[in-house]
Amino acid sequence: MDLFLQRVVDGLAQGSVYALIALGLVIIYRGTGHLNFAQGEMALFATYCVYQLGEWGLSIYISVWIGMAIGFAVGAATERLLVRPVAKKSPFAVFIVTIGLFQFLNWLDGAIWGDQLLPNSGVGSEQSQFPSLFPDKDTDFITIFGANIRIQWIGVFALVLLVTGLLFLLFNKTRFGLAMRAVASSPDSSQLVGIRTNRVLMMSWGLAAAIGALGGIVFAGLNNSVSLGLMFTVFIYGSAAATLGGFDSPGGAVLAGLTIGVIENLVAGYAQEWVGQSLKLGVAFLVILIVLMVKPSGLFGTQKVERV
Amino acid sequence: MSLLELSGVRAGYGQVNVLHDLALTVDQGEIVVMLGANGAGKTTTMRAISGMIGRTGRIVFEGNDITRAAPDAIVEAGIAQVPQGRGTFPELSVFDNLRLGAYTRRDADVAKDMDRWFGVFPRLQERRTQRAGSLSGGEQQMLAIARALMSRPRLLLCDEPSLGLAPIITQELFAVIQRLNTDEGVSVLLVEQNANLAMHLASRVYLLETGRIVATGSAAELSADDSIRKAYLGF
Repeated sequence: MDLFLQRVVDGLAQGSVYALIALGLVIIYRGTGHLNFAQGEMALFATYCVYQLGEWGLSIYISVWIGMAIGFAVGAATERLLVRPVAKKSPFAVFIVTIGLFQFLNWLDGAIWGDQLLPNSGVGSEQSQFPSLFPDKDTDFITIFGANIRIQWIGVFALVLLVTGLLFLLFNKTRFGLAMRAVASSPDSSQLVGIRTNRVLMMSWGLAAAIGALGGIVFAGLNNSVSLGLMFTVFIYGSAAATLGGFDSPGGAVLAGLTIGVIENLVAGYAQEWVGQSLKLGVAFLVILIVLMVKPSGLFGTQKVERV
Repeated sequence: MSLLELSGVRAGYGQVNVLHDLALTVDQGEIVVMLGANGAGKTTTMRAISGMIGRTGRIVFEGNDITRAAPDAIVEAGIAQVPQGRGTFPELSVFDNLRLGAYTRRDADVAKDMDRWFGVFPRLQERRTQRAGSLSGGEQQMLAIARALMSRPRLLLCDEPSLGLAPIITQELFAVIQRLNTDEGVSVLLVEQNANLAMHLASRVYLLETGRIVATGSAAELSADDSIRKAYLGF
């Protein structure tokens, strides 16, 4: 029981990161119907920036905001400079552009920060580990029903709930959120009611990248380090979460992200002998496959209903 | 002075020009009907006025040149369009659709206006929390009009509102448009294929053929012209 609880909460923390990446994917998909292949790498760039700010002595509580602002800027600039010029021509062009951006950002990170795990005393890092937003010393845990739950896990999970709540308020209680939902529903009608759809899309990309950046920063904190490959599997799990959740449902993406994190952790924990670390990805996808066969629009995706 | 005046307007999609040297006016308080076959350029005219596509020439609304204005500026200037098909947001509630109609407005009377249009369209009030996509075709068209009215337009552009509606619903719809014109003072530019019904409303009629105005006059004048009557009214 204690070990089970421990694995579940650990899985929730992992899943929180998937949820943040999935949220970014869903926000962009809802607005434009595009899958942003560079979502993970945008987050990684911001995460490296947070490492760098830490090297310069900045507290994580300040640098996390700067990291998210950098993410926002990268996302907004991507929409304005790369996506918008090709979006009218073909959705595949956008897909290719985001793959190109994925490659470019990974190369850029490598060119600036090298290909080793950072922080690394070998290259002169001042920090001993990637800064965490929550207490993460070995002694920072609480014991519930005999399970040792790390405070960092609880913190990350609570953070995702907070972000989800704020997004819900943004979507449903603000003028900008109304505009975002309108553009997702009908870009043409949105223009006719006077929404500047281009601006909404640019802000959506920025918002998505900022949330992704938070995911990257949190994940590097969980891993104690950042490296060029940090976001690869996270992006795959994140896309899986977005698909499982229904791709146009932010709440669904979060729930699916958490679910995948928990499944992944339980499988790796209990079926180590016959599944092992390398195959746990496969088990997660098997679950998704089964769900999608039963419910093709995902757990919470809206099936388009239109009476004519 | 005309409310809306187009002169020498050219517009189209990409390399394809649909409107050639189009000129038309809508005066204050009029219902102007534009008739034309498929592909004549009726929808293109509407989209050009609303700033949804590139256009050249001169479009003047209430004395202001709006030829190069962006769609949001044109809505703010006082022109609202009910586009062809259902100009609504199918995934959003009736209530949200109406809020979006008032998107460009910053004043405090939005709620009051909503109550007013709920009075005109009681069916919408009953369904205010339902998704627009779940309404019947006629209800959606009413919603699209109410949505357009929420921006307090002086000119309402309606692009084939009767499309896909049962005749009795179409009649109801046209009665509403008539009432908006006489009671609320909204001027209307109406594009229709359903010429017979539309002619009854019209202060003036334009005939559009391959991107040009080929005839204009009062409904009575055009019905008196044999060739026009045969081609467009079918009797």
